[in-house]
Amino acid sequence: MSEILKITNVTKYYGSGSVVTKALDGVSFSVEKGTFTAIMGPSGSGKSTLLNVISTIDRISAGEIYVEGKQISGMKEDALSAFRRDRLGFIFQEYNLLDTLTVEENIVLPLNLRKESLENTRRELMRVAQALEVSEQLKKFPGELSGGQRQRVACARAIITDPALVLADEPTGALDSRNAKALMQTLASMNENQGSTILMVTHDPVAASYGGRVLFLKDGRVFGEVCKGNRGRREMYREILAVTAALGGENDVM
Amino acid sequence: MLCKLALRNVRRQVGNYLIYFMTVSFTVAMLFAVSNIIFSENLKRYTLMENDGKYALMGVVLLISFVVAFVLSYATSFLLKLRKREFGMYLTLGMTRKNILAVFLTENAILGILSLAAGLAVGLFFYQGLMALMMRLLEMQFALAPYTPGGVILTVVMVAGIFLLASVTSALYLKRARIYDLLHTAKHKRDVRHPLLWLLVTLACLAGIISGLWFIGAEAERNVLNGEPFDAVLNAVLVMGLLIILFHIGLARSLIYALLKRKRMCSRGANTFVLRSLSGALGSNSMMLGCLAFLLAFAVVLVNFSFWQKAGQEAELDRSYPYDIWYTGEAYFRTGIPASEAEEIIGAYGEIESRYTYRLYRPKEDVFRQKTRWSDYEGMADTYMKLSDFNRLIEPLGYEEVELMGEYLLVSNIPEAGTEDWAGITLHHRGKSYALKEVRTDYPVFTYQYFYVVAPDEVVEDLEEEMYYTVYSLKEGDLDAAALLEELSYPDPMGDGMVCDYKLREYGRQELHSVNAFLVIAALFAAAVFLFLAMAILALKTLVGLLEDRPGYEILFRLGMGERQQGRTLFRQTFGFFLLPFVMPLLLSIPSAWVILRIARASRMEGLVSRVPVMTGATALVVTLVYLLYYVAVYALAKRAVVCREGRK
Repeated sequence: MSEILKITNVTKYYGSGSVVTKALDGVSFSVEKGTFTAIMGPSGSGKSTLLNVISTIDRISAGEIYVEGKQISGMKEDALSAFRRDRLGFIFQEYNLLDTLTVEENIVLPLNLRKESLENTRRELMRVAQALEVSEQLKKFPGELSGGQRQRVACARAIITDPALVLADEPTGALDSRNAKALMQTLASMNENQGSTILMVTHDPVAASYGGRVLFLKDGRVFGEVCKGNRGRREMYREILAVTAALGGENDVM
Repeated sequence: MLCKLALRNVRRQVGNYLIYFMTVSFTVAMLFAVSNIIFSENLKRYTLMENDGKYALMGVVLLISFVVAFVLSYATSFLLKLRKREFGMYLTLGMTRKNILAVFLTENAILGILSLAAGLAVGLFFYQGLMALMMRLLEMQFALAPYTPGGVILTVVMVAGIFLLASVTSALYLKRARIYDLLHTAKHKRDVRHPLLWLLVTLACLAGIISGLWFIGAEAERNVLNGEPFDAVLNAVLVMGLLIILFHIGLARSLIYALLKRKRMCSRGANTFVLRSLSGALGSNSMMLGCLAFLLAFAVVLVNFSFWQKAGQEAELDRSYPYDIWYTGEAYFRTGIPASEAEEIIGAYGEIESRYTYRLYRPKEDVFRQKTRWSDYEGMADTYMKLSDFNRLIEPLGYEEVELMGEYLLVSNIPEAGTEDWAGITLHHRGKSYALKEVRTDYPVFTYQYFYVVAPDEVVEDLEEEMYYTVYSLKEGDLDAAALLEELSYPDPMGDGMVCDYKLREYGRQELHSVNAFLVIAALFAAAVFLFLAMAILALKTLVGLLEDRPGYEILFRLGMGERQQGRTLFRQTFGFFLLPFVMPLLLSIPSAWVILRIARASRMEGLVSRVPVMTGATALVVTLVYLLYYVAVYALAKRAVVCREGRK
């Protein structure tokens, strides 16, 4: 398997002068193509910062980030925008669908932004709409959908450009357990059937257990790692809980 | 505590209130300037319509203040709605409605006092500027004009009234709103209902506006030529106002619908995002956009017509007053001041350079009147002037000498008389026949008759003398026309008051300048206030609407839209919203110019024709500059608030 994402010694400071916060402290890891990686950690551990720097919406203070062998940390503004548009897909906790656009318009927006032909756009729309089971909802507005359906639309939008890496930021955060489970199955299916490489930030051990690998962050550093290997999801879940307890994070009650 | 909260809120809301504050200050400055003109001593000293002008301007100030109050109530209420979550939170935390009302009214009062202070400060300069303009229109030397207590009091009273009304509207909203409604933002309707119907309404209104403009042009020309009142034109203008409002409501509700149907266009870049955002914004603000378009159109048309009125009347001055002084008397029944005494009085004011006396004669039979629309009007009669008299009158004015070889000339003083058909009338005198040479409507006014016949002297000699005139030319120099006119006046033998048989060009000029000065000042004041109010409302609405779009731009940024591309998207979104109520009012400059040209040509004001494009062009340019000024400010503020870039989501 080839390496899609490589992070080397990434450090990120916030603030200036005497009030400086170290959000990331020499983080290093890599993600292989076609894998599903989860990043866990307590609040303030640097999960969101890590996702922001990978998604190029924030700059790192030191270190290097490579996506598909290309260093993105030194890219200029326009190149970064094009990189985000063409090589990354996003799924957010709050769905981040545009309320004013229909489901169809939301899904094809990334293709419109890169001025894809109408025919190509239609073909890709049909492909992802069928895969994510949102074909019936295409003409509706996000406000007319359930939370689960909205998140499936967000998934469809994330993969319509066939991105190198799909970044998911607490995707189950706003869903009830039934919809959360359905979404995680969808993400797992995207990974298995569409070959999408997924990097997901979550604090939910159940959601993390759907990944093939879980990285744990604490105080801006990689604290540990759990790999599923040939084990089942249940065992994976137990091990995640164990590491979480060791971290002293928010899930130690379990 | 409440005062402290209000003060902090004002400081925190500076961004939101900036455009509102700027516009209110500007309006206050304008109010202050015009109020001071009303009470100005210069007005008493230099204008000939002291009280009429004062009351007319007072009326305009009241009317404008009413419109300002209405528009500011609207602006305040949506600034309030912008913060309704905050007020909902206060209620949830246990503050009473009275407390919140007190906070809001205190905020309003602070803003009002600040606007008043800033407005008065700017108004000090505005007043001198307006006064300079006024003195220029009066053709007087400008000197710094003193400020008047009356002007200050009138401004303060008007501003207090405006803010009171605006506060009452907002207070009523706050008093009635439920906590739930305050805390939960109502979602904008995404889809406009019945877009096709609105498209039809838009097209019908457009057809109505085009035909209305055609009708106004043709009817105004016909009214001028026939000397009819402009009743139908004014009614058509009112209907046009309604059509403009309805057209913009329809356009706001149907334009985006039509554009969204163009799939290929929508699939390019952020076009769908822009169109959908515009659809929501235009749909929910369609009524406001219609009213703004009306205000802008009113401002543009008002300025154009006030300039036309001024230029037109000035072009008429030389025609109405060809000589410095003009005496009119009946040939055999002379009243008033004897000629020798009058000339002595005139001589005391200015040296008489030349004088010429001429007469009008009356035939035994009215052949010309019988062929006109005034055939039943007994008070009117055919009158003749000798060719030698006529040539003697026109030659010093630069007109070519008229030659009549077995012909006569018909001179008409009013446009409608020029349209009568006199071609068939032949004059007979001592066995000779005289045919009509031509009908002329462009000569200066030498009699009060609607029309008169200029015929060879031998034809006129035997006729009965009807009227007696003397024209005087004075040597160059300042003439105290008002005092001279007063001295030449005498008690009316037929009734009360004073009459004067003399017409003074200088007095006419001053009177005309006084009327024009008031007219132009009032029109500029009204148009400027309307323009700035419309722009401010548009700017505030754009900014408030964009706050809801902030998350949308964040998503676009994450999806790979760079800062520049976001900037372009924002430009299209804001410019589309800003442009909609502006295009038609600006384009109305063209039909306005066309209507003015038709009226000018019908009124034989050829001198005005070449000035019309310059006047309307200048008006359009100034309006466009104000528009661009506001747009650039809005775009800069919006870009700062909405566009995302790396490290600043």
